Amino acid sequence: MAYKPQYGPGTSVVAENRRKQMNPNQKLEKVRSVTDEDIVLILGHRAPGSAYPTAHPPLAEQQEPNCPMRKLVKPTDGAKAGDRVRYIQFADSMFNAPSQPYQRTYTEMYRFRGIDPGTLSGRQIVECRERDLEKYSKDLIETEMFDPALVGIRGATVHGHSLRLAEDGMMFDMLQRNVLGEDGIVKYVKNQIGEPLDRAVAVGKPMDEKWLKAHTTIFHSLVGTAYRDDAEYVEYVQRIHSLRTKYGFMPKEE
Amino acid sequence: MTNAEFPQVRIVPIRMLKPATAERLLNMLAGTAGIRRMMIHGPGLPKTVPYGPARGSPNPHSDRKAIRIADAEIALRVQVGTVILEVEDASVIEEIRSLCDDFFVEFPYLLQEGKFMKTSPTLVDYAKYGPDADTSLVGLTDPRNRESPVILRTEQ
Repeated sequence: MAYKPQYGPGTSVVAENRRKQMNPNQKLEKVRSVTDEDIVLILGHRAPGSAYPTAHPPLAEQQEPNCPMRKLVKPTDGAKAGDRVRYIQFADSMFNAPSQPYQRTYTEMYRFRGIDPGTLSGRQIVECRERDLEKYSKDLIETEMFDPALVGIRGATVHGHSLRLAEDGMMFDMLQRNVLGEDGIVKYVKNQIGEPLDRAVAVGKPMDEKWLKAHTTIFHSLVGTAYRDDAEYVEYVQRIHSLRTKYGFMPKEE
Repeated sequence: MTNAEFPQVRIVPIRMLKPATAERLLNMLAGTAGIRRMMIHGPGLPKTVPYGPARGSPNPHSDRKAIRIADAEIALRVQVGTVILEVEDASVIEEIRSLCDDFFVEFPYLLQEGKFMKTSPTLVDYAKYGPDADTSLVGLTDPRNRESPVILRTEQ
């Protein structure tokens, strides 16, 4: 019998969205388009148009040892070219942001290759070879995993995810990397670590409340779907909790 | 220093205020008789990037600007999240409540009663103000900050 991954429990719309993001066979809806140059500007690792700095010579020029694993695993484009390892970090608001740190890591592990994610309570960083990073970042920004107001691309000073939103609906950012313009479009005026950009980078309009509520992967009893409303999810977590607690005392499931 | 006989309230809007809205709210409160002390509270907006790779570089932020309350100018250093007030008596609280009910129409707010200011001077207060400190200053500003409180003079 072929194994069919389930990705996660739950009957609520939040659980459904989590499964959708994690399942690599499901194409994520493209919501906006951002050019490659704009992504390079937001990331702030190199000047747009410049060559990729390298950490080691391309694999083709190297004398690789005879290793069955190396034959089995095909290197990613960045690894093949010897790019340096760079990162992108996201902070997700708790008020119905479309993704959240743990979810991001699960999703990236299912969808991307050659990555090293780091997960914290309010932010999630993913490291990989530079040209792979730009490709993955484009996916993460252009699809339904991103909302210009409630998701911040923040390399440093990330707090704000658990704070109240500002009057205009933007997540608090001490460094104000992105601003909501008069035209309703969010523009990045600083790169992810807070250095001012030469030109503003538009990342589109914030999504409306209805869309956010339908696409979020965060339970929130006040503004979204309450966790306790998803009985299957609660039952699953309780089971894991009780098995972990009883571990070592010969747990037996009925 | 706070006195137990003076009630305190805290205005907590559900959204953090922009400088213009904060200016309107504070001016409205400044026109109310019976408020002894007022404090604004919220996450800080530093002038330079405090940490990370861009540490030390300037941090232009559109919400860090000076607002005018009554006859005084206040340089905002925070995004206004809550306003803490110490009032003369309970009747002032009801007045504040009715003013705020009219003010917050776009989004809701909470008016909480309790103790929100320091009740006795700390060691840092002692180091800053000495043994003969003006008790009305204690608890109003961050003792480590060089700025002193602003005194509003309103025609009442």
